[in-house]
Amino acid sequence: MAGGEKKRHPLSLWPGWYATLTYVAMVAALWCIFVYAPTEKAQGIVQRIFYFHVSSAMTMFVAFFVVFVASIIYLWKHADWWDQTAMSAAELGVLFCTLVLITGPIWGRPIWGVWWTWDPTLTLTLVLWLIYVAYLMLRADATDPRRARFAAVLGIVGFIDVPLIRWSIEKWRNLHPEPVVVQSGGTTGLPPAMMLTFLVSLAAFLLLFVFLLRQRMAVARRRHELEVLRHKVDEALFG
Amino acid sequence: MKNFWYLFSAYTIIWTALWAYVVYLSQANRALKQDIEALRAQLDNAIAANDASKKGSV
Repeated sequence: MAGGEKKRHPLSLWPGWYATLTYVAMVAALWCIFVYAPTEKAQGIVQRIFYFHVSSAMTMFVAFFVVFVASIIYLWKHADWWDQTAMSAAELGVLFCTLVLITGPIWGRPIWGVWWTWDPTLTLTLVLWLIYVAYLMLRADATDPRRARFAAVLGIVGFIDVPLIRWSIEKWRNLHPEPVVVQSGGTTGLPPAMMLTFLVSLAAFLLLFVFLLRQRMAVARRRHELEVLRHKVDEALFG
Repeated sequence: MKNFWYLFSAYTIIWTALWAYVVYLSQANRALKQDIEALRAQLDNAIAANDASKKGSV
């Protein structure tokens, strides 16, 4: 390159513009939630929790789906990259599941009159959280391939709970509200302004998920690199 | 503004949790980068010392 000037690869600029896009989407979502969307008549302002609660829940499902797919490929190919992807997505899934389990009761207290009830949907979501916390505990030791394989099996089996949660919302008579975004027959129970607000919130959460997944995978990759280097240093120093 | 505090708490918790996670990731990334650089330097020194001792023994 003339004059020693280095040309940057377009992908190296990815984190900057992607972070900006995520930030803009989040600001747009907040504007829609607090300014644009109308106040629901029956529930009042507390209904606005719905936009981030359901977006967190859908992002959590996406995260656990990534764990499911990456775990299958890891068991098949034994490539570290898939194990790191599954572990990173599991941590994010637990984060978003925690947000669902916190914001749900905050909405439920003024609407139902209780913080928590052992309703099938709520219980299954708590079970899902416990499954993937167990996954992360099992996966805490990054150097043991046997633990990685067991964790991958748990990541696959644990995903069975996800369709059960969806099914419990639709079919079981419980306290949790029935689906409003997409109802049976493909219709929606949301007015256009609320639907748009929800879609903007969901897009912002999915962008945030991809951004965080990339950052978390960089941590996983560096931890692996550190382990390899430590091994090399030990060999060089002590033979 | 009935139930304002529920709405406020929900969004405060969400943003605090997300912010804390982003800070944790960036600190972990920075610390790992420094550890890797330190280990690389240690490895280079160890290899150089090994080479020097091999030359000395010949």
